Amino acid sequence: MRRRLVTSRLPFPAILALRYLWSTRRDAFVTFLSAVALSAITLGVAALILSLAALSGFQHVLRSEILSRTPDVEIELPASTGAAAVTAAERAIRGVEGVVEVQQVIRGRGWLTAAGRVVPAELVGFGGPLPPSFPDPDPAPEAVEDRGGDGLWVSKSLAASWFLEPGDVVDVVSPRPTLTPLGPRPRVRSIRLAGTYAAGKVAEEESAALPLDVAESLFGTGRRELLVDAGGGERALAVAGRLGAVLPDGARVSTWQDLNRPLFFALRLERVFLFLGVSLIVLVAALALLADLALIIANKRQDVGMLLTLGSTPERLRRAFLLLGTLLALGGTALGTGIGVSLAVLFDRLHLLRLPGDVFFVEYVPFLVRPGDLVLILTVTLALAMAASFYGAHKAAALDPVEALRR
Amino acid sequence: MSVSLEARGLVKTYRDGERRVEVLKGADLAVSPGEMVAIVGPSGSGKSTLLHLLGGLDRADSGRVTVGGEDLSALSAKELAGFRNRTIGFVFQFHQLLPDFTALENVMLPGRIAGWVPRRALERARSLLAEVGLEAREDHFPSQLSGGERQRVALCRALALDPPLLLADEPTGNLDPASGARVLDLLLALQERHGTTGVLVTHNPEVAGRCAKVAVLDEGILKPRDPALRGP
Repeated sequence: MRRRLVTSRLPFPAILALRYLWSTRRDAFVTFLSAVALSAITLGVAALILSLAALSGFQHVLRSEILSRTPDVEIELPASTGAAAVTAAERAIRGVEGVVEVQQVIRGRGWLTAAGRVVPAELVGFGGPLPPSFPDPDPAPEAVEDRGGDGLWVSKSLAASWFLEPGDVVDVVSPRPTLTPLGPRPRVRSIRLAGTYAAGKVAEEESAALPLDVAESLFGTGRRELLVDAGGGERALAVAGRLGAVLPDGARVSTWQDLNRPLFFALRLERVFLFLGVSLIVLVAALALLADLALIIANKRQDVGMLLTLGSTPERLRRAFLLLGTLLALGGTALGTGIGVSLAVLFDRLHLLRLPGDVFFVEYVPFLVRPGDLVLILTVTLALAMAASFYGAHKAAALDPVEALRR
Repeated sequence: MSVSLEARGLVKTYRDGERRVEVLKGADLAVSPGEMVAIVGPSGSGKSTLLHLLGGLDRADSGRVTVGGEDLSALSAKELAGFRNRTIGFVFQFHQLLPDFTALENVMLPGRIAGWVPRRALERARSLLAEVGLEAREDHFPSQLSGGERQRVALCRALALDPPLLLADEPTGNLDPASGARVLDLLLALQERHGTTGVLVTHNPEVAGRCAKVAVLDEGILKPRDPALRGP
């Protein structure tokens, strides 16, 4: 095998790099330092992959959770828009290409009270299907309609803590006063419970859905919005761009991106800082590689002198040592990638890292390895390693042959 | 193939902190094609420095070295490297074999550096090692060879590209008398057989006496025992 290397058609720098890579094992200290550098790169790459995969997993679950409760497009109409104008706008939106469904909602804040208990809540009056922010309804809304009416939808957790069953009466109180002979009093509507929905663990306050006409009586028509279902993702963004032509002046169109912009920015920032922080491991590994190469080059000083004497150019020697460093880095990177990806897949498939359900919104740490992350990790690692190798290679090439040959 | 070698007014000074050490103070040398010239002098007289200048491993502060009509000072670093590879063979006191390569691979190195196809470098290396009686040791590493065998391999490496000029710096200085004598016999025989021009640096007058001509490096000046070595 040794003979095949020198008699191969590989370029001379490659022959030198591969032979020195093979021969490092004969010097115990060089072997040790090479193993340290290799291990450090392996560890750094694996740590980066696992960290980013865990973060991506969490963020994916969080985004899915939030996006499932976010309308594709939300249109806020001016307060002066009358009911007829809203209906006309709704009709016009249905005619826009890509629109799947449109519904009116009225939002307000108030209280829910039953059996002596009171809780503040965001109240959403809706017409048509339950809005996206009220997922997993129980029982199915069609079953409720079959029983002959609309009703109130509260979170499963509230229903459980208040021992509410479908059909129980809940009072919905609005801060918008009504004038009575006894003076202004808050508006109250008693509504039968239609069912419950699954509130996300990220939700911080109660929300409840109620029929549109009831919401109108409680809050007036001030905060009327139109929620548009446009098939999600990029399609929704495209549809949003077409809505402006059919909406009245003053209407504000917000896509799912706009509604979650601060969150998405925070998630991106989180990724950046995590990447930068964990990349420090790779930086340290690159420094270990630099030290390893420096030792190898110091050991090969006389070789370098002789090769220059034989007519090799400094440039070829630089390439040889750069290739040597790159090969070491590639080895560590490949090992680290294998370990990192394997562990991430294993942890995710087998749900090995469990989390307390009452604290986290997931029951296990999800791992999601994104190809883009892998490419970034490999690029950064190899770039750092090559930068470290370049210094040593440059020093080797700059050796004076006469000085290098001295014993 | 052989070439002429000429050095005119070579001056080389080294700095040792504040001190300036003038090693060569205008050395002149002329070697005819195919001749073997010995340069003698005590330790520290600048023999190795002179050899390095003759071989283009170092540049003189002033003066000129011409090999086969080529002025080394006019060559760029890259051109000088190529020139050394094609034209000059070096043999050093401490063999300077690459320890991670076998005897055969060491002798192949000049050919691989020159861009020879591997088969050509291999056949040339095998032929040279056979010429010095080391064909059975071609796959041994330098650590597995004796001192004399290492120096013979070094000699083969120096002659790998059939260079017209051979420069030897104390080639037997690290060997026992018997091995040294064998290596010297071999060096001179190969030099004569291949018609190579040669300069051999030594502090040993007996070794110098085996060469066709001898020059003495004294006080930074070459004083040939043979006046013809001074050149016109």
